[in-house]
Amino acid sequence: MKSIMIKRLPYLFFLGVLFLFSMSPERVMAAEKPLEIVATQALFADLVKQVGQDKVDVRAIASPKFNIHFIQPRPSDVRDVTQADLYVNAGLDLEAWSDPLLEAVGRPQLFRRGERNLDLSSGIRLLKVPDHPVTRAEGDIHLFGNPHFQMNPENARIMVRVISEKLKEIDPVNASYYEENAKVFLGRLDRKIAEWKSLCAHCVGKEIISYHDDIVYFADFLGLKADQELEPKPGIPPTPKHFQFLEDYVKEHQVKAIVLPTYFSRSTAEKLAKRIGAKVATICQNVGEAPGTDDFFSFFDYNFKQISEALQ
Amino acid sequence: MQKLYIFLLVFCQMCFLKIADVGADFSLEEEVTAMKSQMSVMQGKIDVLERKVYSQEDKIIEQQTQKHAYERRIQELESQSTQQPQAPVAPSMPSRVPGTKWIPDIGAVADVVLTVDHAKTDDEGGNRISLRELELVLGSNVDPYSRLDATVSFSDSEEPSLEEAYLTRFGLPLETTARIGKFLPKVGKVLGVHRDSLDTVDEPLVITKFFGAEGMSKSGFDLTKMVNIPWPITHQLTFGVLEGGNGEDGTAFGTARKRPTLYAHLKNYFDMSDRTGLEVGFSPMFGSKDEGANLDVRVLGVDATLVHHLSANQDLKFQAEAFNLDRKKTIDDEGNSLGGNFWGTYGLVDFRFHPQWATGFRYDYVEPVDNPADNPKSMDMGYTGYLAFHQSEFARWRLQYTHTDLSTGKGDDTVYLQGTFAIGEHKHKLQ
Repeated sequence: MKSIMIKRLPYLFFLGVLFLFSMSPERVMAAEKPLEIVATQALFADLVKQVGQDKVDVRAIASPKFNIHFIQPRPSDVRDVTQADLYVNAGLDLEAWSDPLLEAVGRPQLFRRGERNLDLSSGIRLLKVPDHPVTRAEGDIHLFGNPHFQMNPENARIMVRVISEKLKEIDPVNASYYEENAKVFLGRLDRKIAEWKSLCAHCVGKEIISYHDDIVYFADFLGLKADQELEPKPGIPPTPKHFQFLEDYVKEHQVKAIVLPTYFSRSTAEKLAKRIGAKVATICQNVGEAPGTDDFFSFFDYNFKQISEALQ
Repeated sequence: MQKLYIFLLVFCQMCFLKIADVGADFSLEEEVTAMKSQMSVMQGKIDVLERKVYSQEDKIIEQQTQKHAYERRIQELESQSTQQPQAPVAPSMPSRVPGTKWIPDIGAVADVVLTVDHAKTDDEGGNRISLRELELVLGSNVDPYSRLDATVSFSDSEEPSLEEAYLTRFGLPLETTARIGKFLPKVGKVLGVHRDSLDTVDEPLVITKFFGAEGMSKSGFDLTKMVNIPWPITHQLTFGVLEGGNGEDGTAFGTARKRPTLYAHLKNYFDMSDRTGLEVGFSPMFGSKDEGANLDVRVLGVDATLVHHLSANQDLKFQAEAFNLDRKKTIDDEGNSLGGNFWGTYGLVDFRFHPQWATGFRYDYVEPVDNPADNPKSMDMGYTGYLAFHQSEFARWRLQYTHTDLSTGKGDDTVYLQGTFAIGEHKHKLQ
């Protein structure tokens, strides 16, 4: 009896596999059911929530505590994207892990340029676009320009409009709802931008050093100068030689602050700051990265307060 | 009479006052009612005014938005007029350099290994430096539904070989993805990845002894899908059919290519917290020992991986796999036992303690399948320690020491210095 069972094991195995294959993930579009949306980053997820409110269920893949370049998507992320109505991402080449994730998901409409893939870099004025053929000798350089565009709150105008248009397209029943929410957000954004500009008026023209080349849009918004990084090249950790270069550099430049997000080593920044008499400020790259940065507005409140105090 | 007159007069006055009071009451009620109606009218007017205020506020917000838009437009025009270069506007999806859009993603991964090996089994030892492998990786979408990936391997000691070349078809019914061609099977954690993705210089002993020196890459097809089971655990199921045979020097299956190997892998993943994830997998395989047999070799694999992110730059990983191989037992002409039931396993701890540095340890245990009867031991055991330095995202150095106790009773000590370097496009598939 036992040997018969063993001989039939492959066939039993086949039956089990067929049974499991018949169990498809549920992805039902119903009017009363919120749209299932997966965003690559917490800031994008918050913008979608601001527009979609209770008509969307949105989650972010990347924890804001980690460097967005080096996220390792988990099987649960594959599952969530498989069941998503919309995939919201930064496009460009910021999230290098996004394409392998989408290939693991295997839904063509979620791939780049697919009808359920929302690329938030659409319409954004990119900075630092290479004007020459690039090589890795320049470090982990981005082919299409600096991709950290979410650091300029002005760009949220474009992102929110793009989100609103996409939500209206895939859920036309609630189009006026999304339109109204976007309008309310943009109105509040106008008031906050004026407030932030006023808070940081004294920062205009001042120079800062950042850990990574991720602050360019933030600096552009405030009129800061940010030409140097602790990394000698993008993605290359600080070296003693470059450290010396920066020490020499600040002798001829008035650098008042060194800024970095929470996930880079603060000790290196503090070491340089101590030598040159500058302050170290945490400038978050994403919503939820530091306490009190739970949504888009509190995130920028935090960042502008940090830079304002550091450059006093 | 006079008294009666006074009484009547007082009585009449009281009656009049009473009537006057009632009349006053009626007058007050009317007044209150009138005031209430007036209040109602006024409330209505207030509501209308409030609506007007809200409407005006909306208009103000809209006009402010327009104002900012005009201001930005003015700034743009001003900057254009001063002939300053404009920052480009991102297209919906950036295209590559014009003229290269049909060229597939191309990458190359070089694996250079210096080996210092004083094997007691070999008087000459194994000291050498070699380009163990140069993988040329090509991949691109074929059409909106499918993608072709290929990996060709070059070495300074072997002929070029095709490691993988397969088509992935997305979006099939039942949310299924299919692969067809030559590929690494999705079995366990190590068999499905290339060498540059390993945590150690070499594969665990159980992989090399059972399946081949670099695992087994075989022609066939497989289907993968997420399984919807209503538990807070993610399940992914893969089912595949491969041509028969093993990888280089593998012993699990026979060499008859026409006897297919069936395999499946059920991946079960659980997010224990934001920082910790546990994956447990089961992998049954059914193959054939020789041409005359039919699915008489069974391999059951179990794998478990726990990853904990201590911080943004520190990861701790525990990984283990165990395989049970069951082959029909036979005795050859020299009395050696061939086939039977065998176990193999490994356990690995990897600690990334710095953005650029990682260290780890691996323990190996495997029972050789075709073990001559005069061998004093029935298993090979290995102990491996390593230190890895990530020079950058695309360059890694690794120093490794391995001690192996062989079933022959002899031992082997090997030191490796490995450099792994990648250029071009090379995105690892999700594991």
